[in-house]
Amino acid sequence: MKWIFPRGCFSSILQPVLLHSNPGRPVSCSTVFSSHKPRIPLHLRPPTSRATVADLKKWHIWAKNLVSSVGSTFLDLDNGPDSTLLQRELTWLVQDAFENPNKVSFQNSNDDDSVVSLRACLDDLYEMWKQRIEERRPFQYVVGCEHWRDLVLSVEEGVLIPRPETEMIVDLVNDAVNENEELRNGLWADLGTGSGSLAIGIGRILGDLGKVIATDLSPVAVSVASYNVQRYDLQDKIAVKQGSWFEPLKNVEGELAGLVSNPPYIPSDHIAGLQAEVAKHEPRLALDGGANGMNDLLHLCSGAVFMLKPGGFVAFETNGETQSKFLVEHMDTETKGSFHNVKIISDFAGFQRYVTGYKAR
Amino acid sequence: MSFRLLQRLRNQKSSLIFNSPKLFTHFYSSLSEPRYRNSPTPILKQSIFTSGHVFCCRNNGFSPLLCEIFNIPCWSISARLLSSQAVVEQSTSDGLTVEGIIANGWTIYNEDESDWKSHASAIAQSIHLIKKRLRWKKLIHRLEILSDQLNKPDLWNDPVHAGKISREHGSLMGKMKEVNAFEQELLEHIDMIKLAREENDSELESESQKGLLTMRKHIKEKELEALLAGEHDTSSCFIEVQAGAGGTESMDWASMVMQMYMKWAERRGFGVTVVDEMPGEMAGIKRATIRVHGEYAYGYAKSEVGAHRLVRISPFDSNKRRHTSFASVAVIPILGDGFSRVQINESDLRIERFRAGGPGGQHANTTESAVRITHIPTGVSASCQNERSQHQNKASAMAVLQSRLDQLEMQRQAEMNAEHTQSLTDINFGSQIRSYVLHPYRMVKDHRTDYEVSHPDSVLEGDLDGFILSFLSASLDKDEDADL
Repeated sequence: MKWIFPRGCFSSILQPVLLHSNPGRPVSCSTVFSSHKPRIPLHLRPPTSRATVADLKKWHIWAKNLVSSVGSTFLDLDNGPDSTLLQRELTWLVQDAFENPNKVSFQNSNDDDSVVSLRACLDDLYEMWKQRIEERRPFQYVVGCEHWRDLVLSVEEGVLIPRPETEMIVDLVNDAVNENEELRNGLWADLGTGSGSLAIGIGRILGDLGKVIATDLSPVAVSVASYNVQRYDLQDKIAVKQGSWFEPLKNVEGELAGLVSNPPYIPSDHIAGLQAEVAKHEPRLALDGGANGMNDLLHLCSGAVFMLKPGGFVAFETNGETQSKFLVEHMDTETKGSFHNVKIISDFAGFQRYVTGYKAR
Repeated sequence: MSFRLLQRLRNQKSSLIFNSPKLFTHFYSSLSEPRYRNSPTPILKQSIFTSGHVFCCRNNGFSPLLCEIFNIPCWSISARLLSSQAVVEQSTSDGLTVEGIIANGWTIYNEDESDWKSHASAIAQSIHLIKKRLRWKKLIHRLEILSDQLNKPDLWNDPVHAGKISREHGSLMGKMKEVNAFEQELLEHIDMIKLAREENDSELESESQKGLLTMRKHIKEKELEALLAGEHDTSSCFIEVQAGAGGTESMDWASMVMQMYMKWAERRGFGVTVVDEMPGEMAGIKRATIRVHGEYAYGYAKSEVGAHRLVRISPFDSNKRRHTSFASVAVIPILGDGFSRVQINESDLRIERFRAGGPGGQHANTTESAVRITHIPTGVSASCQNERSQHQNKASAMAVLQSRLDQLEMQRQAEMNAEHTQSLTDINFGSQIRSYVLHPYRMVKDHRTDYEVSHPDSVLEGDLDGFILSFLSASLDKDEDADL
């Protein structure tokens, strides 16, 4: 594998993107211009639908009954959601669908004839909940968003729904930049950005001069990530680029202050057995890490050696203990002396989830 | 008030000052201060009684407490109050005091009767009640202690302590000034009415009548506010309900109690969020925590601490037997920014994913992101699962943990301070405070106040204010006038 790219300054790669004056256009102007139009999340749609309290109550009772009928079936089947969790999701669906979520007490209302403004018509609400339960469509795709850290990110089919575990990578980056001003104001990369979660999370903690380049191979992901970046008004700080891993970063070799990634890490033959929400609905491209799940992690780790500048920070999410140890081993042997202060860090469930390190000076 | 009237009043007052032996020429000198000329309540109306010897001339300032009450700049009076028993009593020009009004026993008619004596008497009663609720004598005593401490030159060597002292001083002083202002206003209105009668000024008389009526209505609200004069009463709070022993029946009861508080809070206009909820296997909840957000949430909710007992035919018993269940309620104030909070050391925390099952990460798509945070040194823990991201669940659990630790610290300090020990044991987490009987008769009864109602349904629908207010007033009004 060759890591020799023509050198360039990182402003040159950001400039065409960051000087973009028209916020309506997607920022992904580099390789392929994506024609995909991101879906608007339910909670941001205009409240143009109306329904009576009586009809809503009817829908709600139907939806609740559907929830109860699930019990622990999904949980026993493939570690899917149980009825407690689905009940909570139903509450959130109601919150997202109502124009005024603070007044969601239609269940207690005695005024059956009063009319409520909704962001989706009643038929859609029936359809949404049916998809959730009967097709096991992920709740986040149903409402079109995922709450992640303090962000609400738009997601849709074709984009991996960011996981709670991945939130901690932002904390790890935060710890690193708190100790080092150079990292805070440097150029960062989020490879395989998906919805743009890590790039946005990091973009919000960097200093005034800090920038992030987010890359993804999937045009849908690039379009959704760009939309999310704009929603948080970070288009001056974050450039979203389409391409495989380091490909869009050719101009900034050796200039990255930091690199993070949550690459696909599930071993190929595990995919079919995953819970239905993942296996049937989420993009395989974002999940399948090859025979042992390590293909992309190893590729990224080797590439990071060339992309990071001395003292640069790297953080990867892995499948757990085996992969983390394998990766650390790889860093110690294959990229000998390139990294120091290499650590394995556990997530809140106790899994050895993250590998972090610094490029040697 | 018209200029003409002011003039008249002032003339009357200044003649008074030379005739009345009660009035001190010390105050007279302060008349040259322009602010007293414009003051709505001329300082001349106040007479100061102290037990025994009154002022002795010293150069270092008047009692700072009295200075603040009357807006007297300390330098203007070269006297020092020796006795801590100082009682400040205000009176009308002919010597009528608020206590005097009560002693007169004027009949109190309805508000729409325009009888000034009735209004004055009602207002005087309210002032009396407010003073009692504020524990007036203790309040003055505490203020003196605080004023002394504030005067110490080394106070700010410990800024945290100093901040606490000055905050408490400010808050008590505010309450005291408010009551004093009521007394002044009442007496002023009476003065005006008497004056108006002397001068046959019916316009002025009706104006002052109206003033009294407005005051009478306003002070009723203040009576209620005085019930909530505790240090943290204005705070928002967490309410926690835990099912007692007895399985599904008591878990169902716990969830009824939680619903009752959620509805009560909604009625009161408080914001309600469920922070933590541990559902029972069959029905109800094992425990739950809600956050009640709004002014005075803690002040009201704190009355609910204790065990709540339910008697009914259990819907979960196929033999239709009568069951008794318990649910415990705890209420934790959420301290505002002004209060010193327990410093939590991050290395003392253990954060775990709640209900973690399976390998997680990309394997799982779940909206479940609950965490439990344990403070290892104390063993106190908190969890939250109702937020939509782990980050938010963590922040929310952290807020509960912080408030629990703050409350522990407050209890520790209160135990050191003997004065508070009594009131804390009054509201023990475990003691049974109220019974809800649905069978064989229907009644809800508070065991602390004996307040009872015969319609449990409306209580369970959140109609709790009767219980709360009767408890608050019973606990504050029970002592006879000892504290006045």
